[in-house]
Amino acid sequence: MRKGLSMLAVLSIAALALGCTPTVQVQAPDKPIEINMNVNIKHEILVKVEREVEEMFENEELF
Amino acid sequence: MTMSREVARVCGRVWLLPLALFCLLSAGTAFAATLQSAKDAGWIGEKPDGYLGLVRDEAPADVKALVDDVNAKRRAHYGKIAKQQGVPAAEVEKVGGATAIEKTRSGHFVMDQQGRWRRK
Repeated sequence: MRKGLSMLAVLSIAALALGCTPTVQVQAPDKPIEINMNVNIKHEILVKVEREVEEMFENEELF
Repeated sequence: MTMSREVARVCGRVWLLPLALFCLLSAGTAFAATLQSAKDAGWIGEKPDGYLGLVRDEAPADVKALVDDVNAKRRAHYGKIAKQQGVPAAEVEKVGGATAIEKTRSGHFVMDQQGRWRRK
C-alpha cells in the first residue's frame, strides 16, 4: 500500500512537472522615461518660471 | 457600575464634535475623489503638456470632474506666470509638464514622449 502511494505521488509530481512546462517570457524593459523640455526661453527667465511652477506644485490641490 | 443619566448623555455624544470637526476640515473639495486617491488608483497621470490626463477613458465621473477642475486651475496659473515673465503660456506649460513628471511618485502614471502611459 505504502509503495503504491509513494509511486502515485512520484507519478503525479512528474505529471505536473511535465504539464507545467514553464514558459518564461522575458520582455526587454522599455526605454526609461525621458523628460525633455524643449523650451525657447532665456535661461534667467526659465529659472524664474521653474521656481514659480515648483511653488505651484507645492499645492496639493494642483498636484 | 451604573452611570448617571447625565454622564451617559455626554458619553453618548462626545464623539459628535470631533467627528463634525473632522468632516469640516477634510472637506477640501466638493469631489469624492482626491488627486492623491485618483493617482493612487491609477485613474489619472501627469502629461508633458503640463496637465492631468485620464489613463483610461472609463474613469468615474468624479475623477473626470476633478481632472477638468484641476486642469482649469493649472491653466489659469500657467497663464499668470506667463504674463508675469513675458513668455508664451505654452512654454510655461512645458515647464509644468517636466516638473510634474519629475515630481511624480514612483508607481504613479506619467505619459512619455511617445504618448504612452507608463508607471514611473
